[in-house]
Amino acid sequence: MRALVANIEDVFREAAARWTLLAYFALSSLFIFIFAMAVNLDIVDGALAGAKIFGNTLNMRGAQVDVDKLVLGFETGFSGFLYLLGTFLALFATAHLVPRLQEKGTIDLYLSRPVGRVPLLLSRYLAGLILATVNIVYLIGSVWGIVIWKTRVVHPRFALAGVIVLFAVATLLALAFLIGVVTSSTAVSLMGTFGIYLFSAILSLHERMEAAVSSELAAKAINALYWILPKTYELGQATAATVMGAEAPARVSAALSVTPFLTTAAFGIVCLALSAWLFKRKDF
Amino acid sequence: MTVIDVSGLAKTYRTAFGKTQITALDGIDFSVEKGELFGLLGPNGAGKTTTVKILLGLTHATSGSARLLGRAVTDPESRRRVGYLPEGHRFPGYLTARQTLAVFGKMSGLDASTIARRTPELLERVRLTGWADVKVKKFSKGMTQRLGLAAALVHDPEVLLLDEPTDGVDPVGRREIRDLLREEASRGRAILLNSHLLSEIELTCDRVAVLRKGKVAAAGKISDLTAGPATGAAYKLVASPVEPQLLDAFRESGADVTAVNGHFQLGVRDVQHLNELIDRARAQGTLVKELTPMRSSLEDIFVDLIRASETDSAGPRSLGGADVVSASETDSSAGPRSLGGADPRGTKGAA
Repeated sequence: MRALVANIEDVFREAAARWTLLAYFALSSLFIFIFAMAVNLDIVDGALAGAKIFGNTLNMRGAQVDVDKLVLGFETGFSGFLYLLGTFLALFATAHLVPRLQEKGTIDLYLSRPVGRVPLLLSRYLAGLILATVNIVYLIGSVWGIVIWKTRVVHPRFALAGVIVLFAVATLLALAFLIGVVTSSTAVSLMGTFGIYLFSAILSLHERMEAAVSSELAAKAINALYWILPKTYELGQATAATVMGAEAPARVSAALSVTPFLTTAAFGIVCLALSAWLFKRKDF
Repeated sequence: MTVIDVSGLAKTYRTAFGKTQITALDGIDFSVEKGELFGLLGPNGAGKTTTVKILLGLTHATSGSARLLGRAVTDPESRRRVGYLPEGHRFPGYLTARQTLAVFGKMSGLDASTIARRTPELLERVRLTGWADVKVKKFSKGMTQRLGLAAALVHDPEVLLLDEPTDGVDPVGRREIRDLLREEASRGRAILLNSHLLSEIELTCDRVAVLRKGKVAAAGKISDLTAGPATGAAYKLVASPVEPQLLDAFRESGADVTAVNGHFQLGVRDVQHLNELIDRARAQGTLVKELTPMRSSLEDIFVDLIRASETDSAGPRSLGGADVVSASETDSSAGPRSLGGADPRGTKGAA
């Protein structure tokens, strides 16, 4: 246990030493700062009487906007943005964890200690997830705090968006680990993971694609890929649906069904199990 | 007590699609006892590093067994009492020497108080006290190597596996490392040294195994490997005057006589034969100024052995007093033979 904690500490120390941690939080802070400074709202009796964005007065044309709805709309949009930003930043900050561990001269030092290979790999995975969690909590917590500060509106559901973002990060990090174990390359890990991220998002249109292809085999292949790969688009929709709650339109709230989560979790578990199996068998 | 036990160890590497197979180890046997300094020698590609990697669980054996302190090397617990210094190791440059020992101490299961106690002791032993809080990226090669030794010793292991420990270290530092290793061995640690520097091995180790093409080609005590031939002996003779008739008489008695740079090399059957020659020389008025047994250096043995494998695959060769095994012999299940009490498995009559 002590060895695994040391390994997790080492990941954080490395992230700090290599500026990864700083860059990760600097980018997040920059976004939070811009958001805090850019939007100034004038709220009267629970309604938006006026607003300034980047110092420019918004023409309300005499209309009063319900602040609750405004905040909900903003938080929904932001959660979608956070889903993208959170996963991208988390992967950039953690994709190197396996390739760097497997470098010649480094892996010898770690594996020569009384630590099993699978616990070693999983502790790195856990360290990556903790790193991503801290950042997501920081991003969501800060934006949430700013929204509450500026509008006095508290929507606890907004915080739940972070859980789905973290779920997506956990799945994609498992894929990055698998590619990292096989290739020992950070660049390939990132390219491969983002490639699957985008491709699986495109596959959300699988029904139209299946109808468009002439071959039945191709249609089946598209369908199979859709079910195998993580549901990155649906998870994004689910993030928005979580924030919107009962206000969510039917097509958005449909993403909150259990199927995208189960199939995505299965993909992540298989990737992680496969990476652990390969790492255990690998000759260094 | 046997702490490293390798038996019939084999490793075959396969290419991605299994079309090509490379045999790195072909059934080697050796063992290392507690408190022993054991050297693993061999040319590049002989299987030395593969052996060490299998012992540490970095590479999986194809067949055979390897045990550390009685545990199979596939069990991570076998490494709890093992310290390792890999060749070309890369300690994280962002750590200081103190942090490096803390990280790897924790990874070996040490608690914070033990690490805090051991760190200054070890840094003192490897002469890095003044560098304790300097980042490793600022260290020279020799300093990194010394830090590697400290990291290998941090958890007070019973076994040390060292891959080129003096690589990049200056002569004074090398001597200090040699002294440190001897001291550790005298404390009961078993040390397996993998090095290309034969003089280092000769100066440091008690026993060696020479690997060639994945097999143990020779093994035994260094003193046995470098001693004169078992069926005779070679001596250096400095004497004067030496008449040609005397040399002829020596040759007639069956001695092998060679004049080299003002002295003679005498190959004799035994000590009795040597004494007869000396008596004859003194009877003719020759003054004997120096008579010393000739020993081969480990490097001579090593080079002869490797050349032998390139030019001759016939029966065992006698090199410097210890029998070595040709490639054809090691193909049999009999394994390497050795004389002079030398046995690759140290428990079987190495003393």
